[in-house]
Amino acid sequence: MTKQEIIEKVNKVFEESFEIEKDRLLPEANIFLDLGLDSLDIVDLMVALQKSFEVNLRNEESIRNIRTLEDIYKFILEFQERKKGQSNP
Amino acid sequence: MNIALSFVFNIFYVPWFVIISLVLAFFVTLAISFSYISGGHRHALRVFRFGIAWYARTLIKFFYPYVRVRCEYSEKSDATEPYIFVSNHRSFVDSYLLAYLPYEGVLIVNTWPFRIPVLGYYAKLAGYLNINKMAPDVFFEKARRLLEENVSLVFFPEGTRSIGRAMGKFHGTAFRLALQSKMPLVPLCVTGTEKILPKGSLLIRPGKLTIRRLRAIPWEEYKDLTAFALKNRIRRIIGEELERMENPA
Repeated sequence: MTKQEIIEKVNKVFEESFEIEKDRLLPEANIFLDLGLDSLDIVDLMVALQKSFEVNLRNEESIRNIRTLEDIYKFILEFQERKKGQSNP
Repeated sequence: MNIALSFVFNIFYVPWFVIISLVLAFFVTLAISFSYISGGHRHALRVFRFGIAWYARTLIKFFYPYVRVRCEYSEKSDATEPYIFVSNHRSFVDSYLLAYLPYEGVLIVNTWPFRIPVLGYYAKLAGYLNINKMAPDVFFEKARRLLEENVSLVFFPEGTRSIGRAMGKFHGTAFRLALQSKMPLVPLCVTGTEKILPKGSLLIRPGKLTIRRLRAIPWEEYKDLTAFALKNRIRRIIGEELERMENPA
């Protein structure tokens, strides 16, 4: 999956599960300060991302460092590359 | 009525407010004591909560015609079922106004109402929940238990009183609880309280208060939403209704 595809999929999660307008979904948008999510919403976000990307993110420690949409795109991209590396040693 | 007249009224009213509060508190305490003896702890709590509502309604009536209250219900309600009420919040008076809901209810508040002399103590005894002092897990557990006991919960999801008419952002706790507990959500719209006792003022001014209870939204209608989406939808519903109430076409 390319970065552009990841961006589109993540943004779709924010549009459909959180009903946030497309024009607010800028890479630099802080998901807490700009988009208004709280710490408990992160659980819902992870559930929605897991469903959308069909992955298990439960044990991913780096989720705690996510602040912006760009952080999420990078997180998914790195997660995907790591999984690919594990399945093709 | 100008500020000077309001000031005169307040000088007259405040001693009566204290006297009536003490007299009513005495009767409520008496009723609770008898209820505890005759029906046990749960029955006493129920009587206590209805007693608080009775006290609040009586005090508001005492203001008439200086302060007038109008209650509007968009549907006939089933008082046997508990609800999760969510209301806009402009003034301390809002908590008194919610006594017009015909339910055994508990307010979800932050720390400062518990610091009010006498009233804060009674709020604590009645089992009002201090959302700021509880871990989320503890709060959800206590709230769920109250709903199971048929006690309705009243939230001010803005978390604090707004300044003027502009509604603040909503917090998600009420909506997360609704999704978990599968209880119907009822939006409430309160207008006029911001003029009678604005935030930061102790001077009660004359005016008309309106509380409008909107249609109960059953869990089946919102179960597929996240708490975030649900809170924003309800905020929009309340905002649009307030607009209709304050600026009728």
